[in-house]
Amino acid sequence: MAAKVDHAQFRLVIPSQTRYLNLVTGLAKRASLVAGLDDATAAKVSIAVDEAVTNVILHAYRGEGEHSVELELRFTEQALEIHIWHTGQGIRSDQLVLPDPKEYIKHPRKGGLGLLLMSRFMDEVQFKADAVSGRNECCLIKKIS
Amino acid sequence: MADLSIAVRHIGDVAVILPAGFINAHTVREFEEALEGQVQQGRYKILLNCKDLSYISSAGLGAIMGLIETVRENDGDILLSNLQENVFAIFDTLGFTQLYRVFPEEDQALAAVAPEWKA
Repeated sequence: MAAKVDHAQFRLVIPSQTRYLNLVTGLAKRASLVAGLDDATAAKVSIAVDEAVTNVILHAYRGEGEHSVELELRFTEQALEIHIWHTGQGIRSDQLVLPDPKEYIKHPRKGGLGLLLMSRFMDEVQFKADAVSGRNECCLIKKIS
Repeated sequence: MADLSIAVRHIGDVAVILPAGFINAHTVREFEEALEGQVQQGRYKILLNCKDLSYISSAGLGAIMGLIETVRENDGDILLSNLQENVFAIFDTLGFTQLYRVFPEEDQALAAVAPEWKA
């Protein structure tokens, strides 16, 4: 008898180049629908993934295109989890300062909105570093109600 | 199909910009150039008709944000119309619907920014 599988997951590795963003966000949207999320929520998950992968490419890897970004999608009964790994410059959750939208409106400027979108559109956003492997992770979680 | 294509129409002194597709970190430079091109021509009334815009990330929002002060200092504005539900959600979530005037249809936006304009 086959062992019971309590979740499903798969991985995708892309070069650290923005030309692949559309591929990744399309996948995230469809994965959200498979997980049981509605269209509007699936669109929000895809935006959060766009922002997270863009941060890796442009900031963690400083726009260098010869690196890899690894994504893992995990489907559980409670949530869709999207894990994004890279070996570039990492950030920790306790270092993050989210911009205040009200201040943003008073003093418009470029940049800084990606993290805010991620935090608003996902239920959990976590940043972790693995000292053993040297990899950094951004984990995005959307609960399935 | 390209990720993004941009059409521009001029109606009086209003530049109507129609982005079609996806604005993200990969395509944002093209979008930025379209906006900046209008400002460089002295067109400070810009209407973004988003009827064919499927998606905009913070990179695209930053491009709009980067010009808003310049156009308003020159008695112009950036208006938005025909937003799809998910695009509206992005603007609204960040409070941008308080910063920009948003209209259901292009005609209504044109009437607001160019009172002499008639459909």
